[in-house]
Amino acid sequence: MSFFTRKISRRTVMQALIALPALSLVRKLPVADPEAIVEVNGWILKRGDLT
Amino acid sequence: MIFDSYEAFRAVNFTAKVCILGSGPAGTTIARKLGAAGIPVVVLEAGSREFSDDSQDFYRGVTVGDPYFDLDITRLRFMGGSSNHWAGWCRVLDSQDFEPKAWAPDTGWPISRADIEPYLPEVHEILELPDFRPDVLVSDDIRWVQLIKSSAVRFGEKFADELDRSRNVAVVLDTYATELAGDGKRVTGAKLWSNGKDPGSFTADYFVVCTGGLENSRLLLWSNQRSNGGVVPNAAALGTYWMEHPTFEGGNAILADYSEFEVDATNEAFFSPTLAAMERLEIMNFGIRLIETPYPGIKSIIADLACTVPEMAEWVSHQLSQNLRCAAQLYVTWEQAPLASNRILLSKTDVDHAGVPRIELHWKKSELERRTLLEGLRLFGTTFVQKDLGRVRIANWLTNGGDYPTNEELAGHHHMGGTRMGTDMTKSVVDANSKVHGMDNLYVGGSSVFCTSGECNPTTTIAALACRLGDHLGKVIGA
Repeated sequence: MSFFTRKISRRTVMQALIALPALSLVRKLPVADPEAIVEVNGWILKRGDLT
Repeated sequence: MIFDSYEAFRAVNFTAKVCILGSGPAGTTIARKLGAAGIPVVVLEAGSREFSDDSQDFYRGVTVGDPYFDLDITRLRFMGGSSNHWAGWCRVLDSQDFEPKAWAPDTGWPISRADIEPYLPEVHEILELPDFRPDVLVSDDIRWVQLIKSSAVRFGEKFADELDRSRNVAVVLDTYATELAGDGKRVTGAKLWSNGKDPGSFTADYFVVCTGGLENSRLLLWSNQRSNGGVVPNAAALGTYWMEHPTFEGGNAILADYSEFEVDATNEAFFSPTLAAMERLEIMNFGIRLIETPYPGIKSIIADLACTVPEMAEWVSHQLSQNLRCAAQLYVTWEQAPLASNRILLSKTDVDHAGVPRIELHWKKSELERRTLLEGLRLFGTTFVQKDLGRVRIANWLTNGGDYPTNEELAGHHHMGGTRMGTDMTKSVVDANSKVHGMDNLYVGGSSVFCTSGECNPTTTIAALACRLGDHLGKVIGA
């Protein structure tokens, strides 16, 4: 067994892995503002124009 | 009185108090003002009543730097001067154009717009203009401005009868003042060239040089060289800070809403930045000319839009079926940063038929102007998005950092600077009254006195400055 698995139980590792998706959900992700001005191929647009 | 030659003029006994060189908008306006005030004036016009290739040949020259028009094409040398090919577009420089800009060196005039406003009613009469409507703020950054497309007064045609009847104004055609002589305090005479001969010199108490935005510098540079600095004693800036209004197609627009502005009779509308936007972006003034595109012309724009934003292209197609006026070309004209390196020099190798060195024009657009063009279009495009007026596309050559196109208009045929107005004698040639620094009797009229160019066509401001100079001279001479 590696040093890592000797110090932490398998159960703890599994719980941590299971919790990862949940953590990403609560993390604050930037929300694209549809009114923001963007320049694409020379066009001056609203970000909302692209969706 | 109009004389077709200097010989005919010499046969009458007419003593002039003021000699005006050039019969374009500035020269004619000043002559009319002085004549109306009872002051005898001679106007020496190098050309005749009509266009001729022989006369134009005196205007040939070369340009060093950016591509520019042939110098014998971009101006006219006959009675009425370059008003003979003027398009007639009118607008006065904005108040902000007269103010110094911290981000653009050597800007600012020694006078303000308020100094020429009292003359605008006269200008409206001369140019046959209705009142200007006030600018309309489309956003905090962009103004919808008005350019009046007038009937384009040809000064030679319009005022020929009046000048011919005048007892105080003598217009002498085919009479080219090749140089002024001076002693460092006063101009003492003008050397002439008429009908291929040297008929001697002409003297008057006052001289006003109104030969055009290129020729004023040429005449004064040559005169000063011949008189060892006796005509422009403070000549450091003579010929420098020359400016034009570069003009290029900068992009397209698709229009959705006309509620914030309307197009004129030729389906055009004009937009300029606010001073706050210029300050924030540290750019020069500019004018966007929006020209509604005929229906077939917009297919390529929609095709391009479909590659970028397919859904929006569908929306545009839908709009198109309901409203054929929904696309536009965007032409941009901008104010050049005043640069001493943009200047008129005398050719060392080439002279005209009278022996006067031809012009060597050094002219190059600057990086600040390139930024003005690009950021100006972005500003305009952003206003269009925020106000939901439509969408703007900036031309590829601009976004890709490409060269200026060489198959377009290039500029406005607006020749400004070279004898600019100012208080600093190292950076200007004339004072706030258009009098040459250090000289008692020499004045300059026309757009060569412009310190900055603004973004609008110069003729209206030229006429206002000419009215002001005519008034000033009338007071000086009458005192």
